Amino acid sequence: MGAFTAMAWNGFREARRNRVTVLVAAFALVLLFATTLVTEVTVSTFDRVVTDFGLGVMSLLLVFLSIFLSSGLLSREIERRTIFLMVSKPMSRSRFLLARLAGNMLTLGVLLVAMTLLFWMQLVLHRSPITQPQLAALWGLYLELFVLTSVGFLMSTFASQLVSALVSTGLYFAGHLCGDIYNLGVKSKVELVQWVSKAVYYALPNLERLNFRPRATYALPVTAAELGSATLYALGWGALFCVLATLVFERRDFR
Amino acid sequence: MTAATKLTAPEAPVTSEGPAPVRIRGLSKTYRVGFFLNKQVKALQGLDLDIAPGQVYGLLGPNGAGKSTTIKILMGLVRASQGEALLFGESPDRPHVRRQVGFLPENPSLYEYLTGREFVTLAGRIFGLSGQELDQRVTRVLGEVGMGRASDLQIRRYSKGMVQRTALAQALISQPRLLVLDEPTSGLDPLGRRQMRDIILAEREKGTTILFCTHIISDVEALCDRVAVLVGGKRVQEGSVQELVSARTPSVELVVHGLPLEQLQALGFTYEHAQQLDSRVRLRVPDADAHRLLQAVIAQGGRVSSLQPARFSLEDLFLEAMQKAGGQTVGGEIQ
Repeated sequence: MGAFTAMAWNGFREARRNRVTVLVAAFALVLLFATTLVTEVTVSTFDRVVTDFGLGVMSLLLVFLSIFLSSGLLSREIERRTIFLMVSKPMSRSRFLLARLAGNMLTLGVLLVAMTLLFWMQLVLHRSPITQPQLAALWGLYLELFVLTSVGFLMSTFASQLVSALVSTGLYFAGHLCGDIYNLGVKSKVELVQWVSKAVYYALPNLERLNFRPRATYALPVTAAELGSATLYALGWGALFCVLATLVFERRDFR
Repeated sequence: MTAATKLTAPEAPVTSEGPAPVRIRGLSKTYRVGFFLNKQVKALQGLDLDIAPGQVYGLLGPNGAGKSTTIKILMGLVRASQGEALLFGESPDRPHVRRQVGFLPENPSLYEYLTGREFVTLAGRIFGLSGQELDQRVTRVLGEVGMGRASDLQIRRYSKGMVQRTALAQALISQPRLLVLDEPTSGLDPLGRRQMRDIILAEREKGTTILFCTHIISDVEALCDRVAVLVGGKRVQEGSVQELVSARTPSVELVVHGLPLEQLQALGFTYEHAQQLDSRVRLRVPDADAHRLLQAVIAQGGRVSSLQPARFSLEDLFLEAMQKAGGQTVGGEIQ
């Protein structure tokens, strides 16, 4: 196991020992309760409601977790001075940063897989189909978590955990609303509003491009081209945030 | 400000054993502080330092003298504002240079969710070790620092001394050629300090070069071959402990009864130290004045109960250096 893998694996181990897996249990309970309730109140839309609810809860829990983990990871290391023993080792700062990011993504990936298995078990138990749009929605969710984690990392290279978390949360909502902001500009007759709304649209990652959950709810297929484009879009934004985080982190003094 | 005193610093940084483990030239560090970053703190001001292979080198100075900043620049934690700091003749940022260095920071903080063994193993993996060799080394270094039995407990359950030992174990895992220790004995009980000293001496026996900074003078006297005294970000003294102490003018300490301090001060002698103790007065004068002072005291009706040569200690040197530097004790120069 090389230095990079060791650090990434350590990130996963940290999350596991800090009991983030309790989220999976929370998800299982909510899902169980919801499906019991849904079978009582729905007649013919069970698949749709369970898919919408299952993916929605998964998204909510994992987005919350990704913001919590990424915004605190570096700032906590700096605050507690654990970074002294890591940055002084024969591993560049950028590799350390990327290894920490990889550890976070591994944690989120493992939790996403665990939640997905629970979700599918529920579907199978109720004889509902597992569909291609559901898989696309899960992949889209993972890409969204990658973008949010990268933002959290960037912020935590220079800001406190609270500020990082607030900015990441703000970006999550703004990212989902920026399509609407763009449309507002298109409909507006004021030039300044048009200009500002366009600027906001291009300056922020449009997280709705990664959101296939409505398509999964209505079982509308997602093409490979759409998935590929969403993947490249998320990787592009994530890479940009990672490069900025590296630039800031490389120049920092750890006093 | 006092100019740096260099008694017998090595001139050639490259020895028969290769480049000097540490070579520092004109090193300066200015921190910007304040809400608008409009204030400057000069933590280091043009520091020069050479450490030869196999030396135990002590950086001595009060809080804020620039000791930790020097070490942090060498370990790549802080970027220098000016000057150069080289490890084995190369930039400290190079991974192959860092592989030869073990580092113990001041008040080390480890990943609390790991056990001591897991943390040292992680450090070993970052140094590129693996497999059986890594396992053997982890077991060995944990044993050396006295953590063999507690190594499978989570670090959050460790005492401060246990954390310090585990941090030292991770510094030794790569069998470094240079060991950099920042206040290695601070916060340890007397037994822990003794053990830490023994480990440092054992590493010296192996030929490891050791740079350590402290404000505990007895540690420096017990361990160091050479010492640099830093005050206010500048080097004010440098040399071997013996040279620094024996280079002083010999002096004599007298204990006088029957005369008050004011009357003794009126005799016109220059005292290095004068202290009233109940009915006695303790005086320290240059050796050359001792005979005349003795006669003067007796002539005034006083009695001398003790007269002995005064040993100039590193502590005296340290205090003298601080006085010469204008009594600056905390922090660098603020502008």
